[in-house]
Amino acid sequence: MASYEVAPEAYYKIYFHAAKHPHKPVNGVLLGTQNPPRSGVVKIVDSVPLLHHWTSLSPMMEIGLDLAIQHAENERLQVVGYYQACERLDEVVLAPVGERVASKVQEKFEDAIAFVVDGQKLGSSESALVPYLPLPSTNDWRPASDAQQPFTPSSRFQLQSSGSPAEAARLVNEVNQQFAFGDFDDHLEDVTIDWLRNRACLP
Amino acid sequence: MSNVQGALAKLASYRAKNTRESRQTFETGLLVLKSGKTSGLGDEEWSFYEQLILSALDIGRIDVADQCLTKLSVKFPESPRVDVLNGIRMEATESPEKVLAYYDHLMKIDPANVSAWRRRVSVLRRLGRLDKAVEELNELLDTVYTDSEGWLELADMYSLCNQYPSALQALSHALLLSPQNPFTFLQFAETAYTSGDLPLALKMYLVVIEMNDSEDADAIPLGISVRAWWGAKLCTRQLVLSSSYHGSPSNTPVPKNLALLDELATERVLTAYSGEKGVQTRSLVSGWMSGR
Repeated sequence: MASYEVAPEAYYKIYFHAAKHPHKPVNGVLLGTQNPPRSGVVKIVDSVPLLHHWTSLSPMMEIGLDLAIQHAENERLQVVGYYQACERLDEVVLAPVGERVASKVQEKFEDAIAFVVDGQKLGSSESALVPYLPLPSTNDWRPASDAQQPFTPSSRFQLQSSGSPAEAARLVNEVNQQFAFGDFDDHLEDVTIDWLRNRACLP
Repeated sequence: MSNVQGALAKLASYRAKNTRESRQTFETGLLVLKSGKTSGLGDEEWSFYEQLILSALDIGRIDVADQCLTKLSVKFPESPRVDVLNGIRMEATESPEKVLAYYDHLMKIDPANVSAWRRRVSVLRRLGRLDKAVEELNELLDTVYTDSEGWLELADMYSLCNQYPSALQALSHALLLSPQNPFTFLQFAETAYTSGDLPLALKMYLVVIEMNDSEDADAIPLGISVRAWWGAKLCTRQLVLSSSYHGSPSNTPVPKNLALLDELATERVLTAYSGEKGVQTRSLVSGWMSGR
């Protein structure tokens, strides 16, 4: 069973994506490394936002995913997972589309993970990420069923910095950083938007 | 006071474009409200309140929404439109059952109150009761066929449940009703692609491109055309690889000039990235073009 660690930048970008489109579902992929492969901790160092529009439809998702994979390789990273946030606070399940993308990611990275954002926890000092993992040899993704609550001490899901959630909230509430952020949908309307790096929104 | 003038112009533009930038709308609207200059707005005053109510509710400022709602209720007693706004305000704090019952009640008083019906569908969808939402929306559209937004919403709900043929059917109605809207064709193309009907998707992407054809052949593609050319290329490159494609559920034929189309789509997408700032992603894009 692999362990996972989420870097602040990755967390902020997921948060900004959700915050920028509060009334829409959003999704994207996670980039990271695992050293040594298959046994080391999966370090999720970045995230690449894909869609906030027609998230049940696949063509732009496919192109975006391809480009993100290539970008990851260029940065000597891998696509290690998928994230989504639903517009409904009480919905914390991985959508069918999410399962498909996550499974596709898993074809290339065995310890792939999916995070569903728990809307109720956005704005708090707790991690809002709910980890989903596939049942062995299936494309059925379920919430991780560990005894330890994810993102608590001794869980195998950790934030690199425990202050990330509070800082993300501050960046949105005080600085409106989510507006300096763009996803693939935005990029398709304006190709100058740097959706792969989104440097402008990071502190 | 040019601040207020500027604010009013911004708000009017948001209303015209049906923009949902609630935080900005709210802050701009609050400025106007606090300036006390709303009475000089004439008839626009009421649209202004309506807009402020919706944005206030979106960001949780129920106090401001209530303030504006009171003004509207006084000015327009027994108005179905204000009744629905009241319902939306209730949605922010009351239980779903109570809200659904309220909209039911509105529909009984006035069966022509389509907005109340749409709100019911919206609440059902929000509760996750998709089956019921789809059922009611279908009923609504049976009664009020010309609600093209309703057809788009129905298509979206069907897509969410992977029911693509039904989504495409709903989109065909939307297309009949608004044949000038390229976004509807775009949604159709993307739905067709998701359902695996590549020739149909390609056909529709090309329609979007044609509709947006305001520039000359050498111009850099902008806006919706970029997305449409990407989509077209996604289709052509797969169709080119499978020499005999028999899979179109809609029996849409593969275009005879497929290879040319594929080349053209490649060129158009790459051109979109040839502007000064687009160039940073260009190598990634051309990598994708030559891959697989």
